[in-house]
Amino acid sequence: MTSTALEAPQVSPKVKAPFTGWQKWIGVIPFFLFALFFLILPSARILTGSFYDASGQFTLHNYQELFTVPTIVNAYKLSIQISAVTAVGGGILGFLLAYAVTVGGLPKSLRSILITFSGVASNFAGVPLAFAFVATLGRVGFLTTLLKDVFGIDIYSAGFNLYTFVGLALVYTYFQFPLMVLIMAPALDGLKREWREAAENLGASTFQYWSRVAMPVLLPSILGAMILLFGNAFGAYATAYALTGGRLEIVTIQIGAQIRGDVFHNPGLGYALAMGMVIIMAVSLAAYSWLQSKAEKWLK
Amino acid sequence: MTHLSLTSVSKRFGEFVAVRDFNLDVKQGEFVSFLGPSGCGKTTTLRMIAGFENPTSGSIRIHGQDITQRPPNQRHVGMVFQSYALFPNMTVADNVAFGLRVRKEKDAAIKQRVDEMLGIINMREKANSYPYQLSGGQMQRVALARALAIRPEVLLLDEPLSALDAKIRVSLRAEIRSIQQKLGITTIYVTHDQEEALSLSDRIVVMNVGEMDQVGTPFEIYNFPKTKFVANFVGTLNTAVAEITDPSDGKLSVDGVPLLTAEKMEGLQKGDQVMIAIRPERFSFAEEQKKANVVDCRIENITFLGAVVRIQVLIGNTKFNMDTFNNPFLELPKIGDMDKVTFSKEAVLILGQANGYAN
Amino acid sequence: MNLAARLRKFPFWSWFWFLVGTLYFVLPLLATFEFSISWDPADPLKAYLRVFEDNDFWETFIYSNLLALATIIVNTILIVPTAYWIRLRVPEARRIVEFITLLPFVVPAIILVFGLIGLYSAPFRVPFTGITLFQPLTTFSFGTNVLIVAGYMVLAMPYMYRSVDTGLRTVDVRTLTEAAQSLGANWFTIITKVILPNVRAALLSGALLTFAIVVGEVTLASFLGVDAFGPYLFLLGQHRAYEPAALSFFSFLLTWVAMGLIQLFTGGQGQAAGAH
Repeated sequence: MTSTALEAPQVSPKVKAPFTGWQKWIGVIPFFLFALFFLILPSARILTGSFYDASGQFTLHNYQELFTVPTIVNAYKLSIQISAVTAVGGGILGFLLAYAVTVGGLPKSLRSILITFSGVASNFAGVPLAFAFVATLGRVGFLTTLLKDVFGIDIYSAGFNLYTFVGLALVYTYFQFPLMVLIMAPALDGLKREWREAAENLGASTFQYWSRVAMPVLLPSILGAMILLFGNAFGAYATAYALTGGRLEIVTIQIGAQIRGDVFHNPGLGYALAMGMVIIMAVSLAAYSWLQSKAEKWLK
Repeated sequence: MTHLSLTSVSKRFGEFVAVRDFNLDVKQGEFVSFLGPSGCGKTTTLRMIAGFENPTSGSIRIHGQDITQRPPNQRHVGMVFQSYALFPNMTVADNVAFGLRVRKEKDAAIKQRVDEMLGIINMREKANSYPYQLSGGQMQRVALARALAIRPEVLLLDEPLSALDAKIRVSLRAEIRSIQQKLGITTIYVTHDQEEALSLSDRIVVMNVGEMDQVGTPFEIYNFPKTKFVANFVGTLNTAVAEITDPSDGKLSVDGVPLLTAEKMEGLQKGDQVMIAIRPERFSFAEEQKKANVVDCRIENITFLGAVVRIQVLIGNTKFNMDTFNNPFLELPKIGDMDKVTFSKEAVLILGQANGYAN
Repeated sequence: MNLAARLRKFPFWSWFWFLVGTLYFVLPLLATFEFSISWDPADPLKAYLRVFEDNDFWETFIYSNLLALATIIVNTILIVPTAYWIRLRVPEARRIVEFITLLPFVVPAIILVFGLIGLYSAPFRVPFTGITLFQPLTTFSFGTNVLIVAGYMVLAMPYMYRSVDTGLRTVDVRTLTEAAQSLGANWFTIITKVILPNVRAALLSGALLTFAIVVGEVTLASFLGVDAFGPYLFLLGQHRAYEPAALSFFSFLLTWVAMGLIQLFTGGQGQAAGAH
């Protein structure tokens, strides 16, 4: 009996062509070209531009100014603050929600509702979100009037203002905590039931289980997720602009102003400002990746 | 003295009855296996002893004290899980020390105890390794050490070897048994592997769909199975229905083929249908020597298993498995041949009335 | 179990935080909706009708959808063969490509547009040579359209790529291809009959996510001077009160539909595009 399996029927020559050596890279060239022209080169433009001063001379002075010019230092401070606050605040709320629908004993149906809503809310940023919050907590917003009429609390005379840091933090949190839910729900699933049982079996109380086993195991995921949230907030522009009209001088708003009209009178400084942000984002991403790999090692 | 006792323990999940009327008294230091297929209720019963499930009815006592309602972290039993369940964020030493730390024992005492346990499982050099750096067998030994470190009243093992390779399983189970005997700790071992249960246990509880089919020593379970399920599940015991022809002389017949048995037939009469069993290793070919029973048979099938050659023979209308040791110089018969096999009177066991055997 | 035991098992805090989360989600939407219907008590849908009568709305909305469509199509043509090729022939390229898909996180929209404008507002010259490849893209409308579609492709690319890659991995594309080849299929048949059907779900969810990102996008659109829906909505918010609320609610409903469909097709984890 002849073995037909050994001789594959002749198919079109392209299949048999030996795509080895450098030729096999042909297939990825379009993608690389696209990335080159529309991602890498624009980034390179910013990088190179940051090294030139207003008169076209090569300089490192722009980077120095990032630490000395008060408006710039302030911008970074504000951006870092709002990103950190919403990363931690949104992170905690998101974690508690993810906990509630996984380990926390709520009915399974609530979990899929929460995940769907989180998917929606984490994408619902930008102009509509800003408007939604104006309708909620603006001077004549829904919640503002509700608190005034029903509870007698006037938040605006108490000093609250939606168009400030606190307001923006509340708005950012709207898309931050759902993102946390989406990241933490699968991570919490990774907590094996046997760990809890083994801990109980050895005499641990619920608190001891969480403090000695569950939290340490989850910590890389939680920290990584919060760092992701940090980057998420840091890079946001449209939401802040739509809400505060550029009044809150965070880094992205300043970059926007620089794009519109050279407010620094020094294009290189604008590029340096952008590079500073890129570096912060890159560090965040690196930290997140490192923590992710650690988490995977334990939760495998 | 009874150390652990389960009295009329039952467990229901809604309509489904997982465990029905489980009764067992375990002596101090005894090694008891719960043996049965998946879904028979053995793990559920174990988890009730550990406290992870609450019995629907019945009670569980240790040293006479009723622990049925006690939460799992107050029972002082040590459990080894099938999936090891080592805490991934802790080293081997920290894992073993966990139960002691939780009890707030002194650091020096903990250190000494951990070292002692690591010595027992022979893994002192891995004290600072993490679970992800260990093999399956190593992880299971650490899990054992962790459970024993707290000096539990009872040791519970839930199919601890089923996730491991065959070779490691054999060596590790011997290790488990020797540690258990050395420490004299009461142990309950859940498994679906009858070889494990037979080789390790002082007694075996064979379970089938939530019920205890039989409790006895490995010898009793293997040689005197009380139900057809036990007979089928434990070892390859040949069973057949036989009719008593002469109760005073130990004569019976299988499908008309006359056989002799050494069993006393008290209470049995001519014409009664009984279940007989013959162990495969008791058959031999009649050329070599003739014992009390010599019967004609036809060779149905020959399977080479390595050390053992299993020959299936047809006696009357019933198939019997015959195990002989492998001998490279012995010429085996061919399939379809007619031959004669022989076995002693003592080899024919009467298990009970044929209609008393539930399928 | 008696009442006391049942109460002890009740997950009080879980419900509490769930309620807090629900309130946080729902209140702004409720407020927006309430505001959008309160223009004229006699005619609650007045704001919505006004919006849908506005020509500018339709022009910008349709235009944004077309941009989204273009983004999806070009991204699909670019990414699916690339992901497939990498799995099949050049596994070494995986690391680099995965790195590239991470870059948009490091280079968010505001920075991307900064770089795009910086690069393409002048004639594109190959460095160290005098060769001019093309004129400044930002100065003519086709060029601007190219830029914005490219920009949107960059924003959507990580999700598209990851989605398709996971889809290909799940179906073990290599083995399927070899099986198809040994049965005599040519490349066209393989791609259309074997590969595409299996990544359909991934493509759909990637496409829906792209819609969600593009239609509401403001940063790239406004800085590149494109008359898209995002800038229109923003402008509306400067001059009008009730219509922006109506449109915001409408925009929320659209996002909800898109995400709901993704849930349906992937049956699972939900996808997040993050802030913008």
